[in-house]
Amino acid sequence: MANSRDTLLDPLFNNNPIALQVLGICSALAVTTKMEVALVMSIAVIAVLTLSNFFISMMRQWIPANIRIIVQLTVIASLVIVTDQVLKAYFYDIARQMTVFIGLIITNCIIMGRAEAFAMQNGPWESIVDGIGNGLGYSAVLMLTAFVRELFGSGRVFGVPVMVTTNDGGWYVANNLMVLSPGAFFIIGMLIWALRAWKRDQVEAE
Amino acid sequence: MQRNATYVLGFAAIVCVVCAVVVSSAAVVLKDRQDANLAAYREQNVLEAAGFSEPGQPLSGDELTAAAARLTPVVIDLDTGDLNATVDVATFDQRRASTDPATSRSVDANQARIVRIPNQALVYELRDDAGNLDGVVLPIEGKGLWSTLYGFVALEADLTTIRGLTYFEQKETAGLGGEVDNPRWKALWPGRRAFDETGATAIEVLKGAAGTVEEAPYEVDGLSGATITSRGVTYMLQFWLGDEGFGPYLDRLREETI
Amino acid sequence: MRFLRKILDDQEKKFTNGGPLERFYALFEAQDTFLFTPGETTRTTSHVRDAIDMKRLMSTVVVALLGCVYMAMYNTGYQANLAISRGAAALDNWQTTAFQSLGFAFDPSDLLACIVHGALYYLPVLIVTLAVGGAWEALFAIVRGHEINEGFLVTWMLFPLVLPPAIPLWQVALGISFGVVIGKEIFGGTGKNIFNPALMSRAFLFFAYPVFISGDRVWIAAQTTTDGVSGATWLARAAEGGQAVFEPGISWWDAFMGYMPGSMGETSALACLVGAAVLLITGIGSWRVMTGVVLGSVVMSMVLNAVGSTTNPFFDVPFYWHFVLGGWAFGAVFMATDPVSSAHTNTGRWIYGFLIGVFAIIIRVVNPAYPEGMMLAILLMNVFAATIDYYVVRANIKRRSARYAT
Repeated sequence: MANSRDTLLDPLFNNNPIALQVLGICSALAVTTKMEVALVMSIAVIAVLTLSNFFISMMRQWIPANIRIIVQLTVIASLVIVTDQVLKAYFYDIARQMTVFIGLIITNCIIMGRAEAFAMQNGPWESIVDGIGNGLGYSAVLMLTAFVRELFGSGRVFGVPVMVTTNDGGWYVANNLMVLSPGAFFIIGMLIWALRAWKRDQVEAE
Repeated sequence: MQRNATYVLGFAAIVCVVCAVVVSSAAVVLKDRQDANLAAYREQNVLEAAGFSEPGQPLSGDELTAAAARLTPVVIDLDTGDLNATVDVATFDQRRASTDPATSRSVDANQARIVRIPNQALVYELRDDAGNLDGVVLPIEGKGLWSTLYGFVALEADLTTIRGLTYFEQKETAGLGGEVDNPRWKALWPGRRAFDETGATAIEVLKGAAGTVEEAPYEVDGLSGATITSRGVTYMLQFWLGDEGFGPYLDRLREETI
Repeated sequence: MRFLRKILDDQEKKFTNGGPLERFYALFEAQDTFLFTPGETTRTTSHVRDAIDMKRLMSTVVVALLGCVYMAMYNTGYQANLAISRGAAALDNWQTTAFQSLGFAFDPSDLLACIVHGALYYLPVLIVTLAVGGAWEALFAIVRGHEINEGFLVTWMLFPLVLPPAIPLWQVALGISFGVVIGKEIFGGTGKNIFNPALMSRAFLFFAYPVFISGDRVWIAAQTTTDGVSGATWLARAAEGGQAVFEPGISWWDAFMGYMPGSMGETSALACLVGAAVLLITGIGSWRVMTGVVLGSVVMSMVLNAVGSTTNPFFDVPFYWHFVLGGWAFGAVFMATDPVSSAHTNTGRWIYGFLIGVFAIIIRVVNPAYPEGMMLAILLMNVFAATIDYYVVRANIKRRSARYAT
């Protein structure tokens, strides 16, 4: 089982989809202003990624090579639409805040990437583990970014005021850059910087 | 792995059918719940504008029924202000009506940058137990800095004093213009007066601080750092409370109550 | 002198290879070369563009900035005193206490009172910038094992000048930290940065804390919300009312001299002009970039004048007003010409400058959210500077190779 363990844990730090492969950045910018929203996004992506990996892996023997990308896309798109519908039905408030970005999970390169790179070559069990692992790697960066953005951008953690902002009559002057999308770029950039300072082998050769 | 064309087509067809069935059954099964959510969200905003609930604090089930019982949604003709009985209140979609050329008209250039308005509008009349008018909740929309803001403004029975103001959809800069959502700012509205003694719309969002209701009955604090959003709020209130907006309707109500 | 040299030579052992303080060589080197001409010579193949070294170059820029520094103190104090004498309340802070306890009155006609009052706002900002910026600079020099580069001196001089007087000092510290770390060190330090670090710092504050660096309450060090005293900059007022606001509001001459509210050191087009003269005579500032900015702004303003707009009166403001309002002059002279972040080829400098001028005016006039376009225009063109150079060089290679008949 050591193999499964690596499949699960590698994407967290050693081969993180966002920090090393720099995939899935667009949603990481859009849904990280609040931790609550980022958490739902993380769960949605883990669910879609795991299920798509599973289904693709199940079908991999039968998928004709010349239409494999479009088959993957169809499966992923269907999963995303179902996820979107479920969120709208059961987590309406959060779904409203995430607007189009649930739908845009379809375009999240991580999911297509794992389907093509992993699920097409591996069995269902490994594919599920790989899906969870990569989903967790994505979630780790998402949650960390959201934590920094929500804390410094609105003085809250999971919606609970930690530092009361001046707009709400407190002392903390909210940093508005954190709320804007470029703020996420800076944070993810610094995360990558920190990660590569720690794990030197991730630095690209010049 | 090369396969023949029949296999490829057949495989594609099966994938399509399976996916289509999954997606459409999810949509059908969940539709009622989604519609209920949307309606509840809209209702929540109406109730908030009408002053039944604190901003951001959803009402409990009983309170909701009690409050909803006092609110009557009605569709009116904007140009005359009269009730329109031909349009079904339950299915009327004002947003769609204002884009459909058959049910809307263009308006002259105005500061609120509203281009088209619907012929009919869905408003909520608030009545006490005896059936007397206790207030109205009017839908408003208009441009801020980046986006169109959609919300409700509620008036007291005198049709002059503001009961409340909410926005349920906006994409202004978070922390600046986005503060139209801030409960502290919304709390500044109740008690201000929308019209002056002559009946002209007088309510205005200032640049800077306005003061208490007694000091500045016609003015509200500006959102700091968001001049254009603040101005947008002023303009849209002036538009919708004016003659092209709900002016005729409010006039009719005034005559009825006298 | 000899005494000083001896101290430094004695200390050198401790910092060079094998000494106990080897890690901190950068700190020693900074002292040493600041006071004396370095003793080393280049050992590898050298690439000399000019005999002048970085330190002298940067010192000249600092000299060119003196006029703006003077205005940063005088005008900041003058505007505050003027507003207070007209009925605005003085700010409730230590600057006011210190000013009054020194025995000064809020008198706009008293030159000394104005300078002292302004200095009370300008100097703390400068000191915080120096201290915090210096700490980052030293930290990176030590960690990366290189010498402290003098490029920072200019950044530190520029940054306080583009800030409003009443900016909170913690924001100054945060801004310069961002500018040094994200604007410069992340790219590898001075000479490798693609953005002007002083403008990065300001842009950070502008987006992070817009309430403190835009609007109409921050430009005068007094409480200007009182009736009758407006604290809005003339640029912001022109954005709302167009040319009509200048009459009888402010004369072009006053705006040119810089007697108006605004960022501390950028109100005076005259001081910038003097600085431009220094930079051009010494050959440090690129005349191509400066002329490009002027041309771009003139062309774009005239286009907008010709196009006209019924809803936006700012379209009609002529170019000579654009030159004296906001940070245009300061940006054109000191920010756009930054040798590291601007284009390096001569043709590239023309294009780079021209486009800064064009974009600055477009952002000013057309975008309702940002009345000041200079900062954003320069940062935008910083991004494209290398691309412009690339195509200029490609075009040159193409032209030259075309000379050889094949």
